[in-house]
Amino acid sequence: MLERLVAAGADPLAHRPSDRPSLGYVCSYVPEEVILAAGFHPVRLGARPGPTGPADSLLQSFACSFARALLDGLLSGRAAGLSGVVFAYTCDSLRAAMEAWKVRAPAGSFIHFLNLPARLEGPGVDTYAASEARRLADALAGVKGGRQVMAERLAEATRLVADLRRSLGRLDRVRSSRPDLLPGSVFIAVARGAQALERSEAARLLATLADEFEAAAAVGSAAAVGSAGAAAAARPSQPAGRPRLLVSGGYLETEQPLRLIEESGADIVADDLCLGWRRIAFAEDDEPSGLAELAARYLRRVPCAAKHPPDPRFDFVVRLADEHQVAGGVFLLQKFCDPHAFDYPALRDRLEATGRPTLLLEVEQGSVASGQARTRLEAFVERLRAGGGSP
Amino acid sequence: MTQPERPLAADLRLAADRDLKGLILKHYLGAYRAKRPFTRRPVAWVTSGAPVEILLALGILPIYPENYGALVGSRKAAVPYCESAEQAGYSQDLCSYARTNIGSMLTGRGELAGRPLPRPDLLVAAKNICDVVVKWWEVTARHFDCPLFILDTPFAADGLTLDQVAYVRGQLEELVVVASKAVRRPAPPPAAFERDLMKVLDLTRQATGLWQEIQTLRQASPTPASALDMFTNLFPIVTLRGTQACVDYYRQVRDELAERVRRGEGAVPGERFRLLWDNIAIWYDFDLVRYLHARGAAFVGETYTDAWGIYQFSPEDEKDPLGAMARQYSLILLNIGLGTRKERLFNMLRAQRADGAVFHSCRSCKTYSLGQYELARAVRDELGLPVLVLEADMTDSRAYASGPAMTRIDAFLELLTSKA
Repeated sequence: MLERLVAAGADPLAHRPSDRPSLGYVCSYVPEEVILAAGFHPVRLGARPGPTGPADSLLQSFACSFARALLDGLLSGRAAGLSGVVFAYTCDSLRAAMEAWKVRAPAGSFIHFLNLPARLEGPGVDTYAASEARRLADALAGVKGGRQVMAERLAEATRLVADLRRSLGRLDRVRSSRPDLLPGSVFIAVARGAQALERSEAARLLATLADEFEAAAAVGSAAAVGSAGAAAAARPSQPAGRPRLLVSGGYLETEQPLRLIEESGADIVADDLCLGWRRIAFAEDDEPSGLAELAARYLRRVPCAAKHPPDPRFDFVVRLADEHQVAGGVFLLQKFCDPHAFDYPALRDRLEATGRPTLLLEVEQGSVASGQARTRLEAFVERLRAGGGSP
Repeated sequence: MTQPERPLAADLRLAADRDLKGLILKHYLGAYRAKRPFTRRPVAWVTSGAPVEILLALGILPIYPENYGALVGSRKAAVPYCESAEQAGYSQDLCSYARTNIGSMLTGRGELAGRPLPRPDLLVAAKNICDVVVKWWEVTARHFDCPLFILDTPFAADGLTLDQVAYVRGQLEELVVVASKAVRRPAPPPAAFERDLMKVLDLTRQATGLWQEIQTLRQASPTPASALDMFTNLFPIVTLRGTQACVDYYRQVRDELAERVRRGEGAVPGERFRLLWDNIAIWYDFDLVRYLHARGAAFVGETYTDAWGIYQFSPEDEKDPLGAMARQYSLILLNIGLGTRKERLFNMLRAQRADGAVFHSCRSCKTYSLGQYELARAVRDELGLPVLVLEADMTDSRAYASGPAMTRIDAFLELLTSKA
């Protein structure tokens, strides 16, 4: 169960269902409910970690390694088995990756740019976002294997995605209460898998997994539960008194930075990550009645750093830190990511003003350079253990 | 900086430059005067793609931190400000205009007689040039606790949809209200405001028309104005667009260039090659341009300066000036797709009869630079013209190595010579 989700996250294209076409998408603001309702299996396209190849002749090195690696994957034929790719307006580098792919993609490739607003509030924002959701739905209906996004299909897809998020929410609570059972790195790997596996299967697995972990947490032991035992085994054994941390950043291509934090003696109990809680924490109380409401719901989610205004995310991070009683924060900054880099000093100051020390680590090609980072992390953890960060 | 032993060209400078210095001085002095009790006027910090005509129609004085960044860069003074921003936690990978301004803001120091820019009453950023300005203006808003308006202009890759125009137009209406409130004035009656706005738009139209005439005059051989003239003469079209002073100044420049063309007088002595420049200037190293000029390679066009001629308002816009602005401000160079950019670049290369192109791959400016490799390849392979890609930064000289750049320029010159 857990292994299947983690494996799907690590290699999404190998886990596509065979009974329907698959469609790649790039940003967590792409409503996968619409892709599902149009009859496709949505695959969140990440980027392979490591040095880039052909993309380097199209994008300068100051485009982030995520944008370059994403383009690299596409140029290397990664999208060959997909019906197309949906990009969304996220930032200038991803826009450039999309533009480069438009020039280089094989003739007839389906490429859609979901031209989302950068503003989340103000007159006309909802109407414009709804028009973009409609444009996406119409475009998908015209792709081979696609179908019209009818109201009942959209409602069904919305329920399915909401189920997934609810189960991830239950797992998030276990991560926070029992990081010894469900380490933060494993939680993110599971969340990644939930964006890769066939969604009905993912929903079933996640619900069962949540049951298992909750039971294990109640019993107080991992031994009785298969998946929980496996997850707990992933966490390196450390002395007691592991500081509780929050991590903040963009899209992580691998869990390496998170594992490095855990190996340094801290627990990740909350996150403000693109793959993690920022994407999962939707208000799910009501069911959107159509595309316009769904689009509006995406506007109201916890925002990414590329959206304006930034304050809701800052407030969210501080609230998370309080709710999960974290002792400190680690910023995982994707090198050359302008939106997060601009937000970093203010968000750092907000967190530190609550008495929580922070640490900044730079992520490139999917990982943190481990040597120096490990030393800095260990010193940071020691500082927290010594009481340098009790809120 | 370029190596001093290399001979540089002494360009024929424009007589109008003397007046330009006065315009720049007057603009910034006016901004400081606007903060004094008896000459008070609301000040807005705006991005270079902001719909400034609305602010001017409301009597608000626009100030351009990007222009200030260029000014600091051209004085080779940006690095200490950048370092101050970096010490505060702003990554060295961020835009150097932003770091220069943030550093100046945080330290309270500046390059205008030691002063930073005057404090804003309002901040207006338009996303049409990049997403960086949105974040930079957010930082500024937090620092000054100042009202901030973001004009969200969705990417116009393949033109504009009606929904996009409606979305942007609605925000322009909102700006009138937000700006009035920020400067503590009642929002003007719509009819009166539109009348004032049309007057300003007409001044913009006249200025951009003259700017286009100037670019057209540069098609002459030898070219009457080089990149050095144009980069410095950019100031009014950027910061004074929508004012009579801007129109008057460019009329003077246009007439001077027309006279030069009539006399067959070139800006670059011994013009042998005609080049086009892509991207922002390297403000701290104009010697690089002079070096090329000294070898008869004259810049006859720049996509960067040309971009300011796009605001084509017409008296017809009276029916819906905000709609016209929504379209114009959405279709600026950095908000259009690569295919359209390539078309415009090719048209410009042909119109200016260029023999080659220099691409400044500017690490600060992603929207301008990402895509240049593809454009450079197209110019080389489809038009058969030599191209040179220079890795640098417009303001932060730490990101630039002049030695390797000069070696590549020499190789580029050899290629131009062999093709001549």
